[in-house]
Amino acid sequence: MNRRAVASEQMQDPYFLIHRTALLTLLIWVSTGMLAQNSGGQTSSAAASETNVTHVLGFEGTSNNAKGKLSIQGSAVQFQKGADTAAQVNISSIQDVILGEQSKQLGGLPMTLGKAATPYGGGRVISLFAHKKYDTLTLVYFDTNGGLHGAIFQLNKGRGQAIRDELVAKGAHVTPAEDEPAKQSTPEAKSENK
Amino acid sequence: MIFVTLPPQLPAQTAAAKSSPERQWSVQVDKIDPGDVVLASSFQVAIYENLLEELGKTKRFKQVFRDGDRNASSVADLLVLKTTVQKYSPGSETQRAVTTVSGATKLNVRSQLCTRDGNVVLERVVNGNVRFLGSNLRATHNLARNVAKTIKQSALPEPTLPAPAQSSAAPSVAAELAGVR
Repeated sequence: MNRRAVASEQMQDPYFLIHRTALLTLLIWVSTGMLAQNSGGQTSSAAASETNVTHVLGFEGTSNNAKGKLSIQGSAVQFQKGADTAAQVNISSIQDVILGEQSKQLGGLPMTLGKAATPYGGGRVISLFAHKKYDTLTLVYFDTNGGLHGAIFQLNKGRGQAIRDELVAKGAHVTPAEDEPAKQSTPEAKSENK
Repeated sequence: MIFVTLPPQLPAQTAAAKSSPERQWSVQVDKIDPGDVVLASSFQVAIYENLLEELGKTKRFKQVFRDGDRNASSVADLLVLKTTVQKYSPGSETQRAVTTVSGATKLNVRSQLCTRDGNVVLERVVNGNVRFLGSNLRATHNLARNVAKTIKQSALPEPTLPAPAQSSAAPSVAAELAGVR
């Protein structure tokens, strides 16, 4: 009897309900956080082999300047543009993987026009800050007829090395990195053959 | 009644034209030779790929082959395009955007069209620059377009006809006949 009385008293107590609701909310929040951590972990592991890139040119069956995902599926490098069918190249046919760096102005043509329309040379000041550095990944490979292909991808800075390492681990041929010339962002460093 | 007769030459002419189509060169684009110039591999690849694309657009060649393509070995009238980089100024897109007058990316190459046996059919020095708008790689596109334009505007020699089989066989047949007589 006493127990029932105590239980009914607790149910009527407004603080008890508040505490219970708060506890439930806390439980849901913690479990959501844990779930999010798990999914984040999956994303980061998947991101090692799938990267958002811009295909600059050269990858067979893909239009120039197409944005999509570059991934390594089994023994092939695959570029997927949206829901289109993916273009892929066998890793064993890759002869070289070259990393580079490029600084590009942001915003494309609309931004350029906007900068040109800005009075008092304000556009030039904007240009000073509106640029971003990218990694470039160049793949040199042979097709089934022995024809030489070269494909250039533009990636967020720092992503190129991870893909290169993964390709090398899967059997892509590479030439030593010290053969690579200076970065492209070097301004006006003339090299002429006289 | 009046009968109108069409000249019989027209269909005959068409048939003759079909039987001897105009011979056309095919071209194989060789890998870009950087020469003594320090040129990023991405630029070499971009020039090569843009050349393939632009040469295909000119319709000047029957087929455009890549370097190393095994199908090219069976083509009779084949020219090889060799490209050697002579000068290169990297430039900077930001510098171009800020100053307008400096930061141009400049490329200068020597293009040679050679026959299989190494005879140079055409040799030109071509430039490709980006002065105002566009990324540094845009210079490779401009260069390839200029090379293709130059080749399109130049007169190439007619592909040499392979010696017909009869002409080589005829003397021996004649000699045999003479011997019989």
